[in-house]
Amino acid sequence: MPAGTVTALGHVSIRIEAGDYVAISGPSGCGKSTLLHLLGCVDRPSGGSLVFEGRDVAGLTESERSRIRLTRIGFVFQRFFLLPMLTAWENVELPQSEAGVPKGDRRARTRELLDYVGLAERSGHRPSQLSGGEMQRVAIARALANRPPLLLADEPTGELDETTGEQIADLFDRVHEGGTAIVVVTHNPVVAARAGRRLAMKGGRVVDA
Amino acid sequence: MNAWALARRTVAHNPARAVLAVTGVGVIGALLFNMLLLSRGLLVSFRDLLDTAGYDVRVLAAQGSMVHREPIAGATALANAIGQLPAVERVALVRTDSAVATVPGRQTRGVTVTLVGSTENAIGGVWDIVKGSSLPLVSPAGSPPPLIVSTGMASQLQLEPGASLQIRVTLPGVASALPAIDCRIVGIGHFTFESSDEYTVATTMEGFAAVHGAEDRDSADLVLVASRSDAGPSAAAAAIALLRTDLRVYSNDQVLEQFNQNAFSYFRQISAILSSMTLAFAFLLVATLLTMSVNQRLGEVAALRALGFPRRRIAANLLCESALLVGTGGIAALPLGGVLAVALDRILRGMPGVPARLHFFVFEPRTVLLYAALLGATGVLAALYPIWLAARLPIAATLRREIIS
Repeated sequence: MPAGTVTALGHVSIRIEAGDYVAISGPSGCGKSTLLHLLGCVDRPSGGSLVFEGRDVAGLTESERSRIRLTRIGFVFQRFFLLPMLTAWENVELPQSEAGVPKGDRRARTRELLDYVGLAERSGHRPSQLSGGEMQRVAIARALANRPPLLLADEPTGELDETTGEQIADLFDRVHEGGTAIVVVTHNPVVAARAGRRLAMKGGRVVDA
Repeated sequence: MNAWALARRTVAHNPARAVLAVTGVGVIGALLFNMLLLSRGLLVSFRDLLDTAGYDVRVLAAQGSMVHREPIAGATALANAIGQLPAVERVALVRTDSAVATVPGRQTRGVTVTLVGSTENAIGGVWDIVKGSSLPLVSPAGSPPPLIVSTGMASQLQLEPGASLQIRVTLPGVASALPAIDCRIVGIGHFTFESSDEYTVATTMEGFAAVHGAEDRDSADLVLVASRSDAGPSAAAAAIALLRTDLRVYSNDQVLEQFNQNAFSYFRQISAILSSMTLAFAFLLVATLLTMSVNQRLGEVAALRALGFPRRRIAANLLCESALLVGTGGIAALPLGGVLAVALDRILRGMPGVPARLHFFVFEPRTVLLYAALLGATGVLAALYPIWLAARLPIAATLRREIIS
């Protein structure tokens, strides 16, 4: 039997301003991650429009969207997705290297970020030698490596215990205080409570803002 | 961190996969290297043998073949006529026959030898004297025919210069009525065209005639000609061909071409088929391992893409990974292939009738270049499917799937 078309999102209108802190929650399959991926220029909407810093994302090439993701958006994933063969330092340095940041600047920024997330002492460790909370902190440092104005996080505490989740939430607070806009998809009420705006989704729509 | 560095780290992070790939490519590469050495080895070695002999044109009777030669009648007159040609520097007549050699006073059966008669006392590089002297230009009347015996024969029969040897010419398929003739060994030498299963004895044309009795004194199986350097073998061959219609004249290049089209083509075809198969195996091995590797790292790849790493960077990483595995295995294959080539060469050179100095596997720099090009192309082709897989990955769907799984 052929699979039918599924409308993951419909009638969603959202505007993220510089310095916003938005939490999106809702049941599984309600379209939270899809919305996040659209905001992050990973997906393109099949209808409607998506504008990022004044540019219509639908009109951008794959390469242009990659460049935006690399330099203007930071991503934090539930499962961290650190490269297992690289150290914490190298994982944080990698996006900067890809963006063409000079070596000296890269070093300074990586040191600054690992210090910022409290892992300066663990910079030479590989992901397999770090705890879940530490891996997520490295992932956050990696997401901030190219100083993006927007940080997107998809269930950043989903794999962590309550205490560690709170530490990550604290870290997001500090990132937000630094002026970075944050959109976080989360089931964790502690994390959601930290956000300035909370959106609830259901059936592919924003039902409560 | 560039694509090479990341590929190096990825390979090092999966040592079992790396060892499997490098070992596999190493073994396959060794076989490929061998097949490439074989594809031109005979040709290069045979060319070397022909050039070593110091003659660049060969004249045969029109009947017969390059291997099974018929006698050329009126050989002396022919040699004189050829010698008069402006494009020719020197000429030698050669006759060969089968004979039995016996050491007088020993209760041993004689050994079968190839008897070579020549008008020159030392036919260029056809034999190199290692002990004693070369054949005399003129033998004193009534003296026994002088002989050069091959080193293998001298060693087997414990012969030294000055010793006597009885030679009796044999005729194929019939009992020879010719008497055994006492000859005297003047020297011991390496014979370029001697095979590992035969012994060779050379003598002067007069000595050759003496062991044959009175019959057929003015024929030759082969006329060897050295062309003048300012004329070249092609001009010399063309001029000789005009002398008589019952001859076939070949320059060394033409001899090589003949062998290349006939005898050597089997080895070339075998080499081509086995080379193709080894390349196919290398392709399958590397493509399978890389595809498995990509499938195990879909989440990582999708995350890198989400973080803004463009498709070309993902492709470059995989290409470098493939190049690293194929390159390391390919380099490791060279010494292994070299050792294997030496062993196989020894076995093949032991085949009956193959000149001991002829090699089947010959190293040439161009073979290494061809080998590197073929393996490199295989590495690129093997990476194409995994690259396509990684580059076309739907980022959002993959991340979602990775979380659910």
